[in-house]
Formats: sequence, structure tokens, C-alpha cells
Amino acid sequence: MTEIRIDRLRRTYGALIAVKDISFAFPAGKVTCLLGPSGCGKTTLLRMVAGLERPSAGTVRFGDRDVTRLSASRRDVAMVFQYPVMYRTLSVIENIELPLANDRAIAPAERRRRVEEVIEVLQLGNSRRLHIDHLDLGSRQKVAVGRAIARHCAVTLFDEPTTNVEVHAKLALIRAFKELRQRIRQTIIYVTHDQTEAMTLADQIALMREGEIIQCAPPRELYDEPNSEFGGWFLGNPGMNFLQPRPAQGGGLIVDGVPFPLLFPPEGGSNGNSGILFGIRPEYVRLATAPSPDAVPARVLRRAIAIGGQHLITLAVGESRIKAKVDAETVPAVGSSTFVICPIAHAMLFRGGERLAERPRRLA
Amino acid sequence: MSRIRIDGLSKSYRRTLALDRIDLDIEPASLTVFCGPPGSGKSVLMRVLIGLEAPSSGRILFDGEDITGFPAAARSIGYVPQSFALFPHMSVFDNIAYPMALQRVPRAEIAVRVRQAAEMLRIAPLLEKRPSQLSGGEKQRAAIARGILKNASIFILDDPLVGLDFKLRESLMEDLKDMRAEIDATFLYVTSDSLEAMTMAEQFVLMDRGHIVQAGPVETVYHEPALLRAAELLGFPRCNILAGEFDAASALCTTPLGRFAVAVENGAAPGEAEIAIRPEHIAPAIGATAPLAVGTIRLTENLGSESVVHLGIGNTTLVTTVPAASLARLDLGDSFPFTIRSAGPIVFDRATGRRIGRATPEAEASSASISTPGLPVAGHD
Repeated sequence: MTEIRIDRLRRTYGALIAVKDISFAFPAGKVTCLLGPSGCGKTTLLRMVAGLERPSAGTVRFGDRDVTRLSASRRDVAMVFQYPVMYRTLSVIENIELPLANDRAIAPAERRRRVEEVIEVLQLGNSRRLHIDHLDLGSRQKVAVGRAIARHCAVTLFDEPTTNVEVHAKLALIRAFKELRQRIRQTIIYVTHDQTEAMTLADQIALMREGEIIQCAPPRELYDEPNSEFGGWFLGNPGMNFLQPRPAQGGGLIVDGVPFPLLFPPEGGSNGNSGILFGIRPEYVRLATAPSPDAVPARVLRRAIAIGGQHLITLAVGESRIKAKVDAETVPAVGSSTFVICPIAHAMLFRGGERLAERPRRLA
Repeated sequence: MSRIRIDGLSKSYRRTLALDRIDLDIEPASLTVFCGPPGSGKSVLMRVLIGLEAPSSGRILFDGEDITGFPAAARSIGYVPQSFALFPHMSVFDNIAYPMALQRVPRAEIAVRVRQAAEMLRIAPLLEKRPSQLSGGEKQRAAIARGILKNASIFILDDPLVGLDFKLRESLMEDLKDMRAEIDATFLYVTSDSLEAMTMAEQFVLMDRGHIVQAGPVETVYHEPALLRAAELLGFPRCNILAGEFDAASALCTTPLGRFAVAVENGAAPGEAEIAIRPEHIAPAIGATAPLAVGTIRLTENLGSESVVHLGIGNTTLVTTVPAASLARLDLGDSFPFTIRSAGPIVFDRATGRRIGRATPEAEASSASISTPGLPVAGHD
């Protein structure tokens, strides 16, 4: 197991800086997901680690070995692509075995042990003799995952391997990946734009935006404690709600003229153009039928059935919108008036895209 | 806005029947989502409505007028196709303006309306660019703007968000809902994504193999599926379907999870059945609650606020959702004792797919003197 360390790694295409001087360590034996929207530089970063793309500046080290100038074939990397790259005339087992057979350092007994190990975990026993052409795309991708893992390279790289497989095969693939991980510890870098996949598979997620890693944390922590407005929005289905309350003339805060029963830190709350955003995730927003000191009057704009039979309610607070996930039993009708409570324990504040350390306070 | 009546519409290609006697009424100014798996006929139906294909039989009426034989140009439909289909040699502005220019809308008016739509869809700074300079999401916004700016009383959006990033889809759905509120027209929206369908839908038409499985308000179709296929196709995560055996005399259904008492609705013949158990009908058995069964966790998918838990019970896999916070200590291979909500699952006749009635685990049904009501469906829109 090898730590992968990149130092001020940069890649430019003409005027475009795809990867902006990233320094980062991918810990040995862990799965790090590079997560971000398309065009954020995650695939370029992965390809520079693989040796498929030459950095414009900076270094890539595998352990204490500087591999920046080595070609892909000399770096000791295995890679799984969006489409499975297979030897079409060979069987499942031959496909997994071939890269190992080419490596003289691996004794035949060890080679067989590794092949059998991945075949067992991936439950490919019944199709081991089948030609690759007889498998569907999802199963072929499973073989590709097994082949990469069986090589025991310094690092195994995954470039959106589930993008092109249908949903059932995708689940099977994710399950296979997790089961393999429980058996075989390797340094893995996994690129995806799918937050669920990243949250499900990663030991840690490196969230990327515009060529930079803006936060790296275990999935739960990244979701619960985003350090940026972008992180709050990008993770979650739907993402975090943001409101921009402003100081009212008589004191306190208002959202589009509606009194907002919270106070912000003094340096923000007293300044009319503070630009402080109030953020709260939809699952923490509660509805109330009666006014109370904590409640903000709101109108139900939309409702829809969401994941697992919950309802996703879109509410209007003045001209602003706020979304809430509520149980099926408590769904108000569209057009009706209601009250919204944003529990401060789950609320956070942002300014200029960055998270503030302070939380809002209750109105005394 | 137009009232649309589809009357016995069929469409066949050689020996394949793509649409099989479709009857449907669509209210003026409504938004109807057509959802179904690939090949269900939803896109064919749209192409026939637009006039890109002629039906094999049946009629289409707009506001009572039979327009079945009308050419596409005479139908007053705004169309956003699946692929962006922007003209590469024109600016974004000219692309968006094109259908209005064809309709001979005055240039000053075109300029105002293009700018309005571009602002609503947040592409105003891009109007002078060429399509090749746009990202996938920006191209799709331009295509949507072009589709909706036509002077039309009906708008058809055929899977407009397919293939786009998850987060982009989320914000475009919001934009489309806003736009729909501002345009006085009848909207038809096609998707094969269950979650997208539930987010967008007001009225809902579920299609499968050239048929309409069920039509109505989306909450009714979700909570009260009339056919097994409806329960199967609508919902995220997908509904669990287990094989069972229904005994009409005792009104009991035997399943891999034990016996269920069935509140039979319209009489039913005994025989092979299927029980549809939505993920939310499964609840972890906590504390004193006696579990109905114990599953083994095979996979947990972390969605952020909730997790999808895949449970293995013998050869059966069940899927349920739990709040993510409650899952912190659960891992692959752990056991997961659970109960099933009374009068949650629905039993269907396997041969006909027809609904027999709501089911309650037998142990609970016999201990409770009054039957528990079904899942409440509060205030339809």
C-alpha cells in the first residue's frame, strides 16, 4: 500500500487552468473519491496520477518515488475506465489473469490465488469460462474492476466506472466494489460526479470545483459540515437552502419583508450589506401550523413525492424559496399558508461563499 | 392553452405495436408527465401529437377540433426535443429566435422575449455566443428557451434533462416549474426517471408497452396503484415485489415474509399473487417492537439525508430507506430486524396484475381489533 502525494500539480490547456496547483496526499489503503461537477478538473487530476496526462507543473510521488516523468506503464497503476477495456477473444478468467501472467515477479500460485479471490468476491464463478462478448456491459465492468484489483498495484484508479451501466448493474457493481474493499486494502482514487456513489464508497471525499480541491473529509462530515456554500449546495438531494436575511429598521432581521426570528453575529448583523447567507438542509426544516416566536410565515408553492415516499415541499418566504422534506402524514396543500421553523442547531452561515465559524443566535 | 383529447390512438411499425388504442383527456393549462421505461411508447405518442408521425388509427382533438390530419406546422406546439438540435452556425440568440422568426413575430418583440427567457434560464450573457462555446447544460437551456418561446398553446418537452449532471437537473427542474407557472399553456413532459417524474408531475400518465398503465394525479398513482405494473414502475427507490400465494377463503396471502391478512377490495380469485411493499412500509424494529423478520445488510447507499438499505432475507432482497443519522453504526453483514407497516403493502393478482387489496402482517392483524387505515393521502391538488 502506497501513499500518493501530489505537490503543486497544475495542468493548463491554453488559457484554461484545468487543475490549479493542487497539493494533496491520497492516504495509503484508503478510497478517496474525487467528486465534483463536470469540468471541475477531477478527471484531469486522475489522468495525471495515472501518467496519461503530462502535468504543466508540479510533481506526483508514489511513496517516496517521484513518478512525474514516468510513463503510465512504468508507474505501477491499474485503471478502470467508463467503458470496460477487455480482450474480447478471451474468457472472464483469462481477462483477469493476463496482466498478472505478464508480470514475472508474480509466482503462478500467487497469481491463481489472486484470480480466485476476486472471482469469489465478485461472484463470477459461474461465468468464469464465458467469453467476454457474452456478458452485458455491467458484468464486463465488474470483470474490469476485478482485473484491476487483482493486480495489487501501488494505486488503483477508477474513472466514473458506473456512468454507462444501467441502474441494477450499477448497484451490483457498487456492492462488488464494497465487498472487494473489505477483503483487499488498496490505495484507490475514484472519480465520480455522483454524490450518492461517492458518499457510499469513499473513506474520504475530496470535493472539487474549478480546478481546486475545496474540502476533503469523510462522507458524513462533508455532508454535515460543508466549509463552503458550494459544498452545501452540491451535496444533498436537493441541496442546502440558502436565505439572505437583512437587518430590519427596528432591529432584527427580515427576509423579503418577512421577520426572521434569528440574529447573526454582530459584525454581520449590524451591517446592511453584510451579504451573510443563512443555510439549512431541507431535512431539518420543520413545518408548524400555528405562529410561534421561532416560526416564519410561509406559503406552500409545490409539493412532490420524494425518496422513500417522503414529500418535498417548496415554500415561499416572501420572494425567497425554502425546501423541506416532510413525512406523508403532515403534508399541507399547495397554496396553503403555513409556518417554517429552521432549528438553529442545524443552521449555518456563509459569507462570500465561505462558511463562517459562528452559528446564528435566537432572537432574545 | 388547449384541451387535448386522444381517442383510440394506435401506432404500429410493421409488426410492432408501439401504441395500442390510447384514450386520454388532458385538461387545458395542466402539466402532465408521461413516464415509463424505454420502449413504453411515450416518445412515439409525443411524435404523433406533434405531427412528426401519422397514427395508424385513432384521432387527436385540440379544443374539440380533429387535427389528426394536420401537418406539424399547423398544430401550434412548442417542442423541446431530447437532443439539443441547435444550429451550429447561428448565435444562441438567433437559435432561440428562430421559431418566432418563422412565425413572423416583429423583431422588436422577438428581442424582448428572447432576453426575458434567457434571463429566466440564466443564459443572458451567452446570447452572442455560438452553441459550440456552450456547456451541455447551457445548450439544453438554450434549447428549452427556443422551445418555449414559440407562440403555442401546447408545449412538449421530451426527456429534456436526460444525460445531464445530477445537480444541473435539479436546478433545471426548478427553472422549468417556474417557467410553466408564467406561461399560459398546456404542458406535456416526458421522462423515464421516476424521481424526475414525481418532482415535475401534477397530472401523471404511466406508460408501458404501448399502453397507459394508470393516469391521474401523481400522488394517487403513487399511493393507490391500480395495477402491479404501476406499483413497480413508480417510486424511488423501486417498490419491493415479492411472490406470494393468495387464499380467497381466508383472505390471507402467504409470502417469504410470512402471512398477510388482505383487506379484499373487489373480490378476488385465489392463486398466485405478488405483494408490493414500498421501501417506506419497512421500518426497523426498535426496542420492544417484535420484528416480523430479520434481514442482513447487503449494501447501504448514502444519499445524504437518508440511506437506502438493501437487505438480504434468504434469496429475497428488500430495499428500504432510513434517515442517514440512524445508520451510523450499521455495516455490511449486520442484521436488521424490521416490521412492516399495517395496511401498507398491496397484494396483486399475478396473472391479471389487478389489485386485490391492502395487506397487514397476520400477527398484527389478529392482535388489533380495528384495522389500521391505509397510508393517508392528504389534500390532493
